[in-house]
Amino acid sequence: MQTLVQTGAVTKVHSVRRPWLRDVIGILAIVIAGAVGYWLFPDNLALLTRIIAVALLVLSIDLIVGYCGVATLGQAALFGAGAYAAGIACVNGVTEPMTLIAIGGTAGAVAGLLMGTIMLRAHGLAQLVLSIAIVQLFHEAANKASSITGGSDGLAGLMISPLFGIFEFDLWGKTAYLMGLALLLLVFIALKFVVSSPFGMLCRGIKQDPLRIRAMGAFVFPVLLKMFVISGAVAGMGGALAAISTQVVGLDSVSFELSANALVMLVLGGLGTLYGALIGTVIFMGFEHVVSSINPFHWMTMVGALLIAVVLAAPGGLSSLVEKVRGEKA
Amino acid sequence: MQTIFSIGIDALAFGMVLFIICIGLSLTMGLMRVVNLAHGAFAMIAGYIASYAARDLGLGYAVAIFLAIIGTIVISIPLERFLYRRIYGSPELTQVLMTIGITFCVIGITNYFFGPTLKTIPLPQALSQPVDLGFRTIAAHRLFVIACGAVVAGGLWYLIERTSFGIKLRATVDNAAMSDALGVRTQVVYAISFAIAIGLAALGGVVGAEFLPIEPYYALRYMVMFLVVVSVGGAGSILGAVIACLVLGLVDTTGRYLMPDFGNFFFYAAVILIVCLFPRGFFGRAQ
Amino acid sequence: MTAGKRILGAAIGALLIGSVSAQADTIKVGIIGPFSGPFALQGKNFQAGVEAYMALNGKTAKGHTIEVIYRDLPAANPAQSRALAQELVVKEKVQYLGGVYFTPDAMAITPLLAQANTPLVIFNAATSAIMNTSPLVVRTSFTTAQTTTPLGKVAIDEGVKKAITIVSDYGPGVDAENAFKKAFEAAGGQVVEAIRMPMNTTDFSPIMQRVRDSGAGGLFAFLPSGPPTLGFTKAYNETGLKKAGIKFYAPGDLTQESDLPALGEAAEGLKTSFHYAVSHDSPENKKFVEAATKAIGGADQLSFPSVGAYDGMHVIYKMIEATDGKQDAQKAVDAVKGLSWTSPRGPVRIEPDTRHITQNIYLREVAKGSDGKLINKEVQTFPNQKDPGLATQ
Repeated sequence: MQTLVQTGAVTKVHSVRRPWLRDVIGILAIVIAGAVGYWLFPDNLALLTRIIAVALLVLSIDLIVGYCGVATLGQAALFGAGAYAAGIACVNGVTEPMTLIAIGGTAGAVAGLLMGTIMLRAHGLAQLVLSIAIVQLFHEAANKASSITGGSDGLAGLMISPLFGIFEFDLWGKTAYLMGLALLLLVFIALKFVVSSPFGMLCRGIKQDPLRIRAMGAFVFPVLLKMFVISGAVAGMGGALAAISTQVVGLDSVSFELSANALVMLVLGGLGTLYGALIGTVIFMGFEHVVSSINPFHWMTMVGALLIAVVLAAPGGLSSLVEKVRGEKA
Repeated sequence: MQTIFSIGIDALAFGMVLFIICIGLSLTMGLMRVVNLAHGAFAMIAGYIASYAARDLGLGYAVAIFLAIIGTIVISIPLERFLYRRIYGSPELTQVLMTIGITFCVIGITNYFFGPTLKTIPLPQALSQPVDLGFRTIAAHRLFVIACGAVVAGGLWYLIERTSFGIKLRATVDNAAMSDALGVRTQVVYAISFAIAIGLAALGGVVGAEFLPIEPYYALRYMVMFLVVVSVGGAGSILGAVIACLVLGLVDTTGRYLMPDFGNFFFYAAVILIVCLFPRGFFGRAQ
Repeated sequence: MTAGKRILGAAIGALLIGSVSAQADTIKVGIIGPFSGPFALQGKNFQAGVEAYMALNGKTAKGHTIEVIYRDLPAANPAQSRALAQELVVKEKVQYLGGVYFTPDAMAITPLLAQANTPLVIFNAATSAIMNTSPLVVRTSFTTAQTTTPLGKVAIDEGVKKAITIVSDYGPGVDAENAFKKAFEAAGGQVVEAIRMPMNTTDFSPIMQRVRDSGAGGLFAFLPSGPPTLGFTKAYNETGLKKAGIKFYAPGDLTQESDLPALGEAAEGLKTSFHYAVSHDSPENKKFVEAATKAIGGADQLSFPSVGAYDGMHVIYKMIEATDGKQDAQKAVDAVKGLSWTSPRGPVRIEPDTRHITQNIYLREVAKGSDGKLINKEVQTFPNQKDPGLATQ
C-alpha cells in the first residue's frame, strides 16, 4: 500500500505537462483504491458500496457547484428520484439490476431538468433557498404518496435478480460492490470527457463570468440546464445503486440532511476537480464510520473538529492540499 | 371573523419569534457576508445558560435573559478571534464547512455535558398565564414575544441608520478597504457587529424557547428554517426580515389551519413563489 | 492521507481483535440504535436497559460470556441500517442483533436475517408489519396499535361522543389514527375529523383552533416523543382547550418520563395509555429502575425504550441458553416462542405465532409523585393485550 501510493505520487509529478496521462493515472488510482478496498476490507463491503453510491451523488453536485457555480442544498431530490424510481420499478417486476440503474439515471435526469428549470431563475442565496424548497417538496411528496413509496416506513421488499443471471446480491455484498465500482468508474471516465469538452469549458466560463459568456453570444440557460440533466442522471444512478444494494428505499434519500452532508463532503474534498468529490466522500464517510464505531455516543464532536481543521489547514479542500504538495515538488 | 383574528394573532406571534431568532443571522450574512450556519448553535447555548440560571440557580427571568446574552457573547469571543476571522471574505462554501463544523462540535459537547433531555426556562407568573383578548385567549408570553420583536426591530433600525457606529458599519460593508484607509477600524466594527448578532441569537434562543424547545439537536433542527427566512427577507435588511417573517408566519399558520395535511407544501410553495418574484429577497442588497 | 492511514490502521486493528476473540467463548450481540443526533436520548435508554440487565443478571449465560457492540444510527436511514447490520454480522461476527428504533431501519435488516443465520430482537420499532417480513424477528417493545386501542373505550367511558384525531404525518402516526378510530367507533363514538400534520410542525396554535372549531369533545393525539410534544401540550393549555373541557388522549409517547420535567405543570392531568411507566409499582421494576438509573447517569433521563431493551436482553439470554452458544437462528427463535416472564412493566409473554410481546397496557395520568416530581400514575390496567394490528392480518 505504502509503495503503491508513493509510486503513484512520483509518476504524477512527471505527468504534469500531459493532462491526458494524468487522467489515466487518476483513473488507475481509483481502480487500485477500489481493489485495495475489496481485498483489505472484505467484511465492510456494505459500507464501501454506500460510499460509492454517495460518491456518485457528490460527483453530481460537483458538476453543478464546482463547474457551473450554481449553489445547491437540494441535490438529494435527484438522488432520491433515482432511488424511488428504481425501487418502484423493482417492486413492480423489473428486477434486472442494469435496467434499474438505467431507470434511476433517467428519473434523475428528468428530475434534474425540472429542478434546473426552477433553480436557474435565481442567483446566489435565493438559488440555494430554491434548492432547499425543492428537496423539501420532494420529501413531502414521497411521504404523502405512501401507497407507492411506502412513506416513512420505507419502500421495502425489493427483490433484485442476480447480475447477468449469475451473481446474487447477498449478505456479503460482493456483487453490489463490484457493480458499484464499475459504475463509478464508467461515470467518472464519462464525466472526465464531459468536463474537458467544449461544453464543459463553456460551463467553467459561465461560472467565472456569465456576462462575458453572454457577450460572446452563448446562451447561458440551456447550457446550465444541460449540465443539470447530466448531473441528475449521475445522482439518479447513485440513488438506484443505493436502492439495489440495500434493497430498501427510505425518506432519508430525499432529505435535506443528505444534500447538506454531500455538499460538505464535496467542499471538504475540493470543488471542480472530480477527484475532490471522491476524496471528500471517502474521507468524510470513512472518518465518520471509524469514530462512530469507536464512540457511538459522542463522535459528532470529532467530525466537527475535522471540518474545522480542514478549513484552517486547507481552505480549498483536501484535493488542493495534494495540488500544493505536487506544486512544491515540481 | 373571530377565526381570522385568531389566526392573525397566531401568525404574528410565530412570525415575531422567527424574526427575533433570525435577524442576527440576517446581519451576519448581509452585512458581514458570513454564512454562519452555527447561528442556531449560539441560540441554543443561550438557552442552556438561561435554563441553568433560571431553573437550577432560581434566578429571575430577566436576569436569566441578561446572563444568557452576556454568557453567549463571552463564549463567542474566542470563536470569533480564532475561527471566524479566518473565514471573513472566504468563499461561501468554505464558510459553510467551518460553521457546520462548529455546529457539530457544539452539539457533541452539549450532549456530553448536559445530556440529551429537553431543557426548559421557567417563565415568571405574569408571562405564563393566558390572557383573554375578548375573542380568544392567548398566552401572555406570546404578547411578550411580539413586543420583544418590535423593540429589536426598532432598536436595530436606529442603531444602523441613526448612529455613528451604524455609519461606520455601512461604510465597512460597502467597501472595507476604503473604510480602513479612512480610519475606520474595520476589525473592531466586525467584532462588535458579530457580538451584536450573537447577542440577538441569544435573545431569540431564550425568548423563543417556548416555541423551539432547547435540546442539543436544536442547532441543526431549525437551521433550514432560519436560512430560508433570512434569504426570503433579503440578507442584511431589517425591514425585509420583518416582512419575510410575517408573510411566512402567515402562510405557515393559515396553511396549518386550513389544510394541516399539506402544511409543508404551502410553506415551500410560497417560498419558491416569493424567491422567483423577488430573486434577491424582499429587500436584498444588489450583489 | 494521514486520515486514510488511520482508518486503515483502525480497521486492521479491528480485524485482528475480531479474529482473536472469536476463538474464546464469547458471544457477541450487536445493538443498533440512535446513540447520537436528535434521538440520542432514546439510544441512551437502549444502552441503559442493556447495561441494567447485565448488571442484574451477570455477563454470562450458561457459561458463555456476552459482549455487546453498539452501532450508532442517528436517524431513520435504511441504507445505513443495512450496512451496519451487515458489518456486525460479517465483520464483528455477532450471533444476535438487537435494538432498532425506527421501522424502516428494521425493514432494511430483516431480509438479511435468514442468510446471516441471526435473530433480530427489536427493542422499539413499533409498526405491526415488521413481524411479517422475517420469521427470525422477535419484538419486546409494543406496537402503536397495541398501546392506542384501549383509549377508544376510555374516551367513551368518560362521556366523549365526538372526537378529533391529530397525528404526525408518518407511518406510526397513521397507525395510531387508524387504531384509535377503529376502537372508538367500535365503542360507539364518532371521529369528526382526522388531521395529519407535518413532522416538523413547531407552532400548534392553529391546529388547536381547528380542534375548537370542530366541536369535538375530546382529542386524540400522536406525536413522536421529543421536542414537539412540549409545544403541543403547551398549546393545548394556552389556547384554553383544557379549560373548555375538551379531553386529551394520547399514547404514552407524548408524556415519556424524560420529557415530563420540561412539560411541567402543563402536563398535569393528561391521560395517556402505554405499556410501561417508570413509576410502575413492583419489586421487579424497583430493581430495574435502580440499575438503569445508575447506567444512564440520571433518573430524569429514563424512559420507555430502556424497558424494551431490558426485556430484549432477557430474550437474547434465553436464546443463548437454548442454543448453548451455537449459532442457530431458527432454534433460538423457536426457544423463546411462548416464553413468559415478569418484566419490570408487568407480566409479559412472547406470542408463538406473531413473535410479538403480549403485555398489560396501562391508562396513566400525569400527576405529582410522593417526591413532588411528575410521574405517569397508573390508574387503570388492560391486561394481556395482544397486538391488534397483527391479529387482523
